[in-house]
Amino acid sequence: MSTQTMTEKPSEKAVTGRSSKVSLGRLWDTWGVTALLVLLLLCTPAIAPGFLEIENLQSVLRESAYVGIVAVGMTFAIASGAFDLSVGGQLALTSVVTLMAFNGGGTAAAVAAAITTGLLCGLVNAGLITRLRVPPFVATLGSLFVFRGIAYLLTQDGPQTLPYEHVDSPFAKIGSLNVAGLPVPFLIMVAVFAAGWVLMRRTAIGRRTLAYGSSPSAARFCGISDTRIRLFVFVLVGLTVGIAALTYITRVWTADGSAQDGFELKVIAAVVLGGTALKGGKGTLIGTFSAVFLVSVLNEVLVSQGVESAYQRIVLGCVLIVALTIDGLRTRFASPGSFRRALRPTS
Amino acid sequence: MGSDPPLRGDQALLEVNDLTVEFPGIRALDSVRFDIRPAEVHALVGENGAGKSTLLKVLGGVHRPSSGEVRLAGDHYRPRRPADALAAGIAVIYQEFNLYPDLTVAENVFSGREPRNGISRGIRYAEINRRTSELFDGLGVRIDPTATVGDLTVSEQQLVEICKALSVDGRIIVMDEPTAALSADEVTQLLDVVRRLREEGRSVVYVSHRLDEVFALADRVTVLRDGRHIRTCGIADTDPDELVRHMVGRDVESVFHRDRVSGGEVVLELAGVGAGRRLRDISLTVRAGEVVGIGGIAGAGQPELSQLIFGALAIDSGTMSLNGEPFRPRDPGDAMARGIGFLHEDRKAAGNLPDLSIRHNLTISILDKVRDGLTRLIAPAKETDVYAGYHQRLNIRATGPDQLIGQLSGGNQQKVLLGRALAPGGKLLLLNEPTRGVDIGAKAEIHRLINVLTADGAAVLMVSSDLPELLGVSDRVYVMAGGEIVGHLTGDDRTEENVVACATTGRRIFSEELSKR
Repeated sequence: MSTQTMTEKPSEKAVTGRSSKVSLGRLWDTWGVTALLVLLLLCTPAIAPGFLEIENLQSVLRESAYVGIVAVGMTFAIASGAFDLSVGGQLALTSVVTLMAFNGGGTAAAVAAAITTGLLCGLVNAGLITRLRVPPFVATLGSLFVFRGIAYLLTQDGPQTLPYEHVDSPFAKIGSLNVAGLPVPFLIMVAVFAAGWVLMRRTAIGRRTLAYGSSPSAARFCGISDTRIRLFVFVLVGLTVGIAALTYITRVWTADGSAQDGFELKVIAAVVLGGTALKGGKGTLIGTFSAVFLVSVLNEVLVSQGVESAYQRIVLGCVLIVALTIDGLRTRFASPGSFRRALRPTS
Repeated sequence: MGSDPPLRGDQALLEVNDLTVEFPGIRALDSVRFDIRPAEVHALVGENGAGKSTLLKVLGGVHRPSSGEVRLAGDHYRPRRPADALAAGIAVIYQEFNLYPDLTVAENVFSGREPRNGISRGIRYAEINRRTSELFDGLGVRIDPTATVGDLTVSEQQLVEICKALSVDGRIIVMDEPTAALSADEVTQLLDVVRRLREEGRSVVYVSHRLDEVFALADRVTVLRDGRHIRTCGIADTDPDELVRHMVGRDVESVFHRDRVSGGEVVLELAGVGAGRRLRDISLTVRAGEVVGIGGIAGAGQPELSQLIFGALAIDSGTMSLNGEPFRPRDPGDAMARGIGFLHEDRKAAGNLPDLSIRHNLTISILDKVRDGLTRLIAPAKETDVYAGYHQRLNIRATGPDQLIGQLSGGNQQKVLLGRALAPGGKLLLLNEPTRGVDIGAKAEIHRLINVLTADGAAVLMVSSDLPELLGVSDRVYVMAGGEIVGHLTGDDRTEENVVACATTGRRIFSEELSKR
């Protein structure tokens, strides 16, 4: 230790000591799940030898895209301190409307319909929350049923489908084409994540969303309007659903009211697993990105091992619980206190 | 513990020897000694970060010492959890109360130890209500045991905490900054209660930043600084100046130094402004270069007034003007766009953005000014420049721009929030309790900053419940009571007596009327 640091006031040294510890915690926040993903990928050749074949990997990337794209919107929602439980209903409705538009007017109509329907769903949620003052959890739980219900109504005479003769249309290609070996849905997802990162880290509205999630009352006195934040977040979720519907529907070619049952939980699980704090204020898109793949790779490995789908759900649930336990412990370590204290249940 | 041998008056009831508490990377307490005698009030003073809270938490069974010992009536005292401390007769009342806001006073006092009926196991409400009443009578205060705690004022909640300590017959009652959020009247009441506790033979450890209370109350005083014991002495053997020197480790220049500037242009003017039942017929002016203080007992409408000017509370009647133009902000964002800076009185609940770094806490109110010219995106380099500017100007002690605001001491958090209020660069600052819960060193720095700002022509409207600050820093003082302005004190009329008289007795004192006579 140099003489200069020796003459520093002890309190300043104390602060330094604490922060180096916390930045390690912050490192885990952002990269912890990514590390787990890499670990899992390193283990896969031993468990599932066929996993690393190109076609299998492409299938994993394509399958992950629609969960991943919506997870970007959901990361903003959770970082702002809210949930959007309606994304499953939004996806079903948007998918049905998109197919109807395609069968009526072709590719351009389908793309326009997907984006418009997603945005409208988001506007409905934002309106319920900001105009009628319904808490987001309740508002989106209600709209989940409403959106799904409408999707069922529209497909009373059987599911909407993408007829096989259009297999070579640009629309169908969204789901099947590879560019430089990478599936287009994956490339779209990467673009959405990149845009989301810029939005969250480099724009005023992104910063304000984090500030609002961190402390709504303090944010108010910083001139942040809660109406604007809610509107932004829920419309953004709707937009990501619209984009996701394009990659989803061109993969499965059919949709009705039951499409992607439980989708909202998959998306929320990925965001939470990625390290975005449930209480708001923190959002990590890098974590979300890795968590999306962690879940799909895990699923893929289980499928290749012939594990039943019921067990797959159980494994996903356990992974989520373990991740949150680690997170809870880490949060307690971040405040001063001993290891023993951290493990002791809070009273 | 009923069979303790009787203690001599000067023999310590509780003794702390060579106590060291270490957290990863920090030594919060370094070989500290401390003792408490029976029936004494022992004041514990020191700046934020001096180790007072850590010492309290060791006594309260929250933290465990790394080394050293604590003896209670001669026996080793090693509480493993807060309940152990309570069982040993040591009750610690933290700044954040441990109360259930939805339960009644009596339910809180006896929470977890309710006397129950033999068969039904139902709580005997009549008994806990009666016993709670008796405890309050003993303290000489009146609080309804069946009232809901969430409906009580902060000072009443404090008394509930004290009552809780008495209900377990606490021999040592430790109070952490008990008067931080109390009005002058409530402080007087609390001091009386503490004296009664001493008369009953109980010992009180009294932690406070307010030296006037310490000298009014304490028998002995201990100063901590940077986790070390600096001095313990009888209160008669020291004086405030000496304590301040020990606390900060250097001489502090005269506490309130003001370069009085003659008032400039009128920056803010309110005429007959009202808002519901909370504010009535408020008229006032604030000029450039002036600090205008707003005083009064808590709940008289002072924070509401500043929130109304900031656009956070709707105006029902009257008019406002800013720099001579009509002014009626829609929301705080609107007020900020007009260059008004605001500091909320509740740093934790409505100031800090706890998950954001210091840099981001500073720039949140001026995101438009830290954008890149070409891309219109936030430029981190510009944010760092903003941080660097305030870091130096406000003397913020932090490891760097990316440190989370919650990791700073209270005084440094306050400096960051002041920086945020200054950032809009405006000519009007609304400061609510600018030095609440801030140590003496930081307090002097904040006062110096206000001085510099007004010398540069800024207008400051300051709400303060700290009378010496209100009178020392302000050029003029308005006193509020019941949502109205009941006094306007300038020049030599700015005395504690006048402020208290206006705030509490219903008298109206307006300097301009006095001088006409």
